[in-house]
Amino acid sequence: MSYLNITEVESAVTSLAAVFPTAELIELPEPSVEGRAAHALRIGTAERGANDAVVLIGGVHAREWGSCEILVELAADLLEAHRDGTGLTYGGTSFTSAHVRSILDELDVVVFPLVNPDGRHYSQTVEPMWRKNRNPANSGGDPARIGVDINRNYDFLFDFQTAFHPAAGPRVSTDAGDLVYQGPSPFSEPETRNVRWLLDDFPRTRWFVDVHSYSEDMLTIWGDDDNQSAEPPKNFRNTDFDGKRGLAGDQLYAEYLRQADADDAGVLAEEFCSGLKAVRGRGYTPMTAFHLYPTSGTSHDYAYARHIVDTDKGKIHGFTVEWGKSFHPPWSEMEKIILDVDAGLVAFCLKALTL
Amino acid sequence: MSTYEILRVRVTAKDAETLRALLREARPDVGGRPRQGDDGSFSIEAYVTPEQTAALEREGVSLTTLDEDAAATGRERQAEVGEGDRFAPEDAVPHGLALKVTDA
Repeated sequence: MSYLNITEVESAVTSLAAVFPTAELIELPEPSVEGRAAHALRIGTAERGANDAVVLIGGVHAREWGSCEILVELAADLLEAHRDGTGLTYGGTSFTSAHVRSILDELDVVVFPLVNPDGRHYSQTVEPMWRKNRNPANSGGDPARIGVDINRNYDFLFDFQTAFHPAAGPRVSTDAGDLVYQGPSPFSEPETRNVRWLLDDFPRTRWFVDVHSYSEDMLTIWGDDDNQSAEPPKNFRNTDFDGKRGLAGDQLYAEYLRQADADDAGVLAEEFCSGLKAVRGRGYTPMTAFHLYPTSGTSHDYAYARHIVDTDKGKIHGFTVEWGKSFHPPWSEMEKIILDVDAGLVAFCLKALTL
Repeated sequence: MSTYEILRVRVTAKDAETLRALLREARPDVGGRPRQGDDGSFSIEAYVTPEQTAALEREGVSLTTLDEDAAATGRERQAEVGEGDRFAPEDAVPHGLALKVTDA
């Protein structure tokens, strides 16, 4: 075994869809800047849209290679175990055939393993530390200024210079030469538009997990400030708090989150970490995304914020997995991380069914 | 193929504000997330060129080199990326890494 190249991620997805009747191939509407098509899988026995959906995405940041494999192998595990009527064992974590059956019968599991194919290809063949996509539109012809950070390109507090306190130091930039360049406008990139399309196309999505590395954490919203559940007016849409967001431990601002939603998110994050830990003892930490510095334009905050911005949309609990302790672990270690994270994700899905 | 050198370092600051100021001013490429030590210090991993380390060095901050050339490590890892298409044969499909077990 070895890491999958971008051709193999695509062919893995299409081959699973071809072999398993419980997998539906979904073509994303927009090719990448370099013209590559993207596909996702819907896994489930019911008709599309009949069940609530969990949407899992990976391969957003180019250098975080193992994220794609985590999702491809998870899809393969679920499909094969369901077809053969078996359970799944990940080290010390086991799930019965009834568990597997309940996931496929009661959920749409939507797996989009490679959001950023151009970036992954560049990282795997040229510059291993590459993070962004490969869009040259804002580079002015300078190769060092190519690319947009996909996970800063969503519309959540995109105007960070207005939203945050001057001393907040958010990890986002308007400079195309920066690693966390947000792009010229929200959803300027085909990769972010594809993720938005996927959430729109599955309006019963209730859970969203973006798989990244690294730090061995399971992050819940919010990323712009500390959370609080006592003061609803302190929220990302309220311009009265522009210039006050993003400081840790202060009294100026903390982002409102309904207590029940904070509780549900915490329960799911804990369940993920518990399922993962039993595999071989790795201790991932459930925590909110804001810690020391804020972010804007991230996927998990966008996913949850959708139902607040547009009340016609359903509520989506957003999460980010930060697997492992390096961007490119040796493959022998990556295999163990895949087992860890996939066990956590199966446990996450089972808990989601109870909420 | 990239040829320049990137150090992987752990940046440890005496407190949160010192690390926050460093990240705000030097804007290094970071890996992972901040960690708090038992002594109240805060640390984070960063990927910097040897020249960029000067911007990180300041009072209340210590640097520990974890990898003398993270770019070279990444290039070595590129050898662990598949070639061709292992799923091209009609009967080839991923099987997942979990053990498929019959219920007891």
